Amino acid sequence: MQKVVTINLNGNAYQIDDAGYAALVAYLEGADVSLKDNPDRAEIVADLEQAIADKCQGFLGPHKTVVTAAEVTQIIREMGPVEGSASADASSSGASARQTSSDPAGSSAPRRLYLIHEGAMLAGVCNGLAAYVHVDVTIVRIVFLFLALVSRGGFGLVYLVLAFVIPPADTPEQRAAAHGQPFNARELIDRAKKNYEGFAGRKDWRRRWRREQRAWRRSWHASRWQPEWAWGPSAAPPGAYGTRILSGAMVPILSIVSVLFFCFWAWAVYSLVTSGQVLGQSLPNDVPFWVGILVLVCVYHAVAWPLHFARRRAAYYSLGGHYVGFIPAWDGALSLTFGILAVWMAYHYIPEVREVIKTLPDVWKSFGFE
Amino acid sequence: MSVTEKFSAIRKGLLEFLILRIIASDKVYVADMLKRLGTTEFATQEGTLYPLLSKMRREGLVDYEWQESDAGPPRKYYELTAKGKSQLAELNDYWKYINTTISQLGR
Repeated sequence: MQKVVTINLNGNAYQIDDAGYAALVAYLEGADVSLKDNPDRAEIVADLEQAIADKCQGFLGPHKTVVTAAEVTQIIREMGPVEGSASADASSSGASARQTSSDPAGSSAPRRLYLIHEGAMLAGVCNGLAAYVHVDVTIVRIVFLFLALVSRGGFGLVYLVLAFVIPPADTPEQRAAAHGQPFNARELIDRAKKNYEGFAGRKDWRRRWRREQRAWRRSWHASRWQPEWAWGPSAAPPGAYGTRILSGAMVPILSIVSVLFFCFWAWAVYSLVTSGQVLGQSLPNDVPFWVGILVLVCVYHAVAWPLHFARRRAAYYSLGGHYVGFIPAWDGALSLTFGILAVWMAYHYIPEVREVIKTLPDVWKSFGFE
Repeated sequence: MSVTEKFSAIRKGLLEFLILRIIASDKVYVADMLKRLGTTEFATQEGTLYPLLSKMRREGLVDYEWQESDAGPPRKYYELTAKGKSQLAELNDYWKYINTTISQLGR
């Protein structure tokens, strides 16, 4: 399953999947850079966009509405590198354009730290950090888990602080920035506006250009408002009334189950670390300790992912396919409330947890906060 | 170095001349040009052709007009200006002259 981005190519809206979007953006950005000194840059880029749009059209049919990444790659190969301006070093700038287009995650890209919710276990901190430092997310999670265990849970606070401080990546542009892809739609609009101010072209061309800009803004807003969990084609069918009521009731239930499962899992990890036992079962002697942790992490993934997916799906259908901003916030507040409740209950009924919480001030001191 | 590689710079330099010839024969848009060049030694791509056409338009050799098409959005149809026509005549003569020189030099 791939997420779909709606793009505007010279006044036509097309839906392409996420990877194709990144490749296309890198290609057009490369074209723009190599045409830097060309007085007709805006017009040539518009022509190239139109040519890409025509090629996209060739891949679409009545039962196929999305252009795939492989098709985008083929289109870009057919288009070929964009030659620079008419100056003598046309071949060298052509080479640089080729370089830019083959390297979508260029090192010069401004990468930003965001929370990434897709495939996140909790708030997406590890996911965002992994994208930021270009490391597999599992490694970041293991590092976090290790630090949390070493600091006897104190590092969990660092996670909480990060989850509140780092902004979430909500739009395709922010997600591109989180992965360091060298572009976003806002920058393009700003640059296009600058071009437009200095643009002295023919009258019909100017009018056409204005129309394109309006269409571009519309499609940009449309892509902004796509619900983040709407995988596949963006217009998911709104469910019947009964489905909506049912899924509306499922959201809090699934939230509570997720939180309870997480608490159970955390307890299992804790008991494995302290006593070497989970539910009275100790590890066989020839199995190293870290394998036990790894198995627990895998079990958590296997159970939590369907829960997570079901919850998002339920929230989506309960609203009849419309995106409303307060639902994730409400969901988050609910999770937080139950999390606090669970910690409070654990503090009162499980002596080990009470001991861990009592050692927290020492952990703070050891971090030098005092 | 293969034969085609040795002549790659020459093919590239001849592209403008060939574009002038294609446009002179008929009113065409870019996809037509690419199709006609595609079966020859001079096959090229949009990434090369659009910047070249914009340069030729700035030099006043070609101009375009928007024309509605049956399928899809309006297209830019290119045609030669008076300056483009005279340049093409000069280039044709020069090309014949070069060919004569080549055939006269050695064998």
